Amino acid sequence: MRLALWMYQGTAHHGVGRIANSMRGVHAVFHAPQGDDYVNPIFTMLERTPDFPRMTTSIVSGRDLAQGTVRLPETLRAVDAQVHPDLIVVCASCSTILLQEDLERMARSAGTKADVLVYDANPYRMQEVRSADGLLTTLVQRFARPQAPLPTPSVNILGPASLGFHNRSDLICLRRMLATLGVQINVVAPLGASIHDLERLPAAWATIAPYRELGQNAARWLEDQFGIPALTDAPIGVQPTLRWLRRLVETLNETGARLQRLSTPLRLPPLTAFSLDGMSAPSSVPWFARTADMESYSMKRAFVFGDATHTVGMVKFLRDELGMQIAGAGTYLEEEAEWVYQELKEYLPPDDSGSPKSSFLVTDVFQHVARRIADLSPELVCGTQMERHACRKLDIPCLVIAPPTHIENHLLSYRPVLGFDGADVLADAVYTTATLGMEKHLIDMFGDAGLDYDEPRTGEPRTENQELRVENRASASGHPEAGVSVGAAEPSAAPSRSVVTEESNRATTPSSSTVHPVWTPDAQAMLKKIPFFVRGRVQKNVERYAMQHGYATITAEVLVEAREALGG
Amino acid sequence: MPATVIREDGAYHSFCGLTCVGWLYQKIKDSFFLVLGTHTCAHLLQNVLGVMIFARPRFGVALIEEADLSKQQPELDRIIDEIVADHHPSVIFLLSSCTPEVMKVEFDGLARAVSRPDLPVLFVPASGLDYTFSQAEDSVLQALLPFCPIASPDDRRVVFLGSVNDAIADDFRTEAARLGIPVAGFLPESHFHDLPPIGSGTVIAPLQPYLAKVAGRLARERGATVVSSLFPFGPDGTRVFWEDVAAAMGIAVDLRERERQAWERLEPHLEILRGKKVFFTADNLMELPLARFLKHAGCTILECSSPYINRKFHARELEALDGVRVVEQPNFDRQLRDIQELRPDLVISNLATTNPLVGHGVVAKWSTEFSFMPIHGWSGAATLAGMFTRPLKRHAQLDPLMDDPLWVAGLMPAR
Repeated sequence: MRLALWMYQGTAHHGVGRIANSMRGVHAVFHAPQGDDYVNPIFTMLERTPDFPRMTTSIVSGRDLAQGTVRLPETLRAVDAQVHPDLIVVCASCSTILLQEDLERMARSAGTKADVLVYDANPYRMQEVRSADGLLTTLVQRFARPQAPLPTPSVNILGPASLGFHNRSDLICLRRMLATLGVQINVVAPLGASIHDLERLPAAWATIAPYRELGQNAARWLEDQFGIPALTDAPIGVQPTLRWLRRLVETLNETGARLQRLSTPLRLPPLTAFSLDGMSAPSSVPWFARTADMESYSMKRAFVFGDATHTVGMVKFLRDELGMQIAGAGTYLEEEAEWVYQELKEYLPPDDSGSPKSSFLVTDVFQHVARRIADLSPELVCGTQMERHACRKLDIPCLVIAPPTHIENHLLSYRPVLGFDGADVLADAVYTTATLGMEKHLIDMFGDAGLDYDEPRTGEPRTENQELRVENRASASGHPEAGVSVGAAEPSAAPSRSVVTEESNRATTPSSSTVHPVWTPDAQAMLKKIPFFVRGRVQKNVERYAMQHGYATITAEVLVEAREALGG
Repeated sequence: MPATVIREDGAYHSFCGLTCVGWLYQKIKDSFFLVLGTHTCAHLLQNVLGVMIFARPRFGVALIEEADLSKQQPELDRIIDEIVADHHPSVIFLLSSCTPEVMKVEFDGLARAVSRPDLPVLFVPASGLDYTFSQAEDSVLQALLPFCPIASPDDRRVVFLGSVNDAIADDFRTEAARLGIPVAGFLPESHFHDLPPIGSGTVIAPLQPYLAKVAGRLARERGATVVSSLFPFGPDGTRVFWEDVAAAMGIAVDLRERERQAWERLEPHLEILRGKKVFFTADNLMELPLARFLKHAGCTILECSSPYINRKFHARELEALDGVRVVEQPNFDRQLRDIQELRPDLVISNLATTNPLVGHGVVAKWSTEFSFMPIHGWSGAATLAGMFTRPLKRHAQLDPLMDDPLWVAGLMPAR
């Protein structure tokens, strides 16, 4: 048992709801207490659905349990009569699964016109991602029918789903690229698919499944069962998109040759054809990354944490295409951790022994990720909504690249992650999130450059103007704690004031101190001259240096020594 | 004649009692709310509260994982240590949820076992098997009850019952002073150690309509007088509330002129509200007083439904709703059909159903907002009226494009 503050994934029943709400004619029924209906407003509020999400909670109350009342058959009949779905997917909740009821029998007794599938989503064994992927795979296996391939090059797209991260934009981007190639789309699933569409899946020449989290198991099953090749790369970034396009063309040509359906092989058109106006570079990222503007970004270190697909894509994009440095990475999807690690081990900074393992974090405990970010103090964090919480306290720029999301991540405009368009969106997001370049040099050069407004210098009365700026800052960010978080990077309030001699300071043997060092007032005064947005990191590095070298107290001399040794 | 309450069965869009954490952890500033629950509870708190709240949360879930299912009694000591180290609370509320209820965890004993001399851990029944939404505030206040000092019988002062923000609390203190009513405090106060003394001389003035059980216990266990009145929403409710509280203290006041002036100030809102047809689907248990205010403001209430109605605690509101269709535990599917047929001008509905109702061409408003807005008393009357007129004005101001389904095309694949 542990204390959980925030969760990275939803529950198993949320995964079921996401699949049902993605599809046409599929309805989820949760055999659960009324509180479990909370998943419903996630759809109506984040996706602002103009109709009722395709899920109904069949209430189990304390009184029902006491009296032995079972409402499930009645709920199934009501759903059948009102929504007329082709398929109803039934699952238990974390509490009702403990009752060990025979849901199959209850469901059969309802006598619905709709086909009913009791999905065994054990909430203690699986969470949202595995539950959703498992259900999609089950549905594909249940409904896909052997059939003749389409006469022209065509693909399935598996993975886009309700509440998927920027999935609707990704799908638009994929559709645009496929249209440019002249490739027909056979079926998109689960988003917008009916079970009749699932029947038609085997007619495609290939399957595109860009997300590790959803659709790849179904794509591989189609490959094994019907010989339909699966493309499981995620085209995140310009070079990966180019490689992906070439592989897609190759794959379709191979299938075409095998089927003897393709008289002239598909060819990649001039790349300008992929731009929005059909005559420009398909992405601005390659040139942008080489401009002088981006020089300062080569110094910036990023920490990336999220699901599997976006973590891997983003790390590669930041280093390979924007020229940034990677301070560390990680994922909350334990079952995908090995794959993520293999993809990223060349990108992760090695420790003293040369292993990148220690810079790779696998956890679904929010507090652990927050601690890693505080330790690394990177210039940019790419994470989930929770990393934004953590970074706000640390005053570190953070960009959301993976679920879980916040309403602010559900914007109206076309913001794909995939493809050439996605590369531009990601580069813009990085650029506008991180502290800019030239501005930073100016501040570095002249100390505070008038920006060190978080507290007045000692002995100087606080002017009204300064106070006003503090207030503006807090209100501009919209979060009252933002003003406080700057101060949170400061050394703790009351360091020991005792005068320490050189001898007593290095009391213990070198590199053996585990006691947190305290700062003398003069060292603290020097620390305050360091620009506020790097001060937290300098402080941490100096403290680590002091501990490694056995200093119990950080004096001005120790600070200078440490900054020389650490180079800044 | 009180309104007849029709009882149905099928209000499946609402929240469980855990949601009360959302405002109570902010109200009781030295508290921590610990839910003994599963991933589901944590996901609920994150999505229902997390979407609204950014600050460092003083709530969390002691997570029951598969290995914990076979254990007799949960081991909470280490978790309490962690909470103490990070938050230094004066009190921890231990909330039950569905899974430990099914596991038959003995919560009273558990809470006692993990309590520390300087840190009480108080059991709060809140599971979705038995509690809806704001109802669990009733459980929290009952848990606090033993920590209210016992007032001497000659201590004739008022205690306001229900959590309101500090600004509203100040308004109620000021108004009480103006009427010559001595105040002992609020249950709950902002800090655990500031709970008011309550005894047989105490007059309890309920501010929130979902606190029937704690009100009953205050009367039974402390011999306090619970004022049976309207709840102080709108000029009508506020006038009756203060007159009744004053009367219980032996003070006669006539606030009819004050009420008239308050209505007069609301005239711009009343112009919009008069004759409008309003429908309440059930959600946050504030529906009765809100509907009564609208009725007095000139609206036609097509239906007022609420998850739970207590015929004694809500007696005066039910009287004031005479002639209105009042439904307890309404059937949502039936309501949906009625809404399509009766075409109300405004529907007050749950977070889950509001956008879909708007998508069906109805002007609908999130009921949850009423739980978080300063709508009590004289000073809250304009805010309260504005909550109802804003959606009406907003929709009237927008072009009627929504009649064309084109504008929601592609938003929802299943549609």
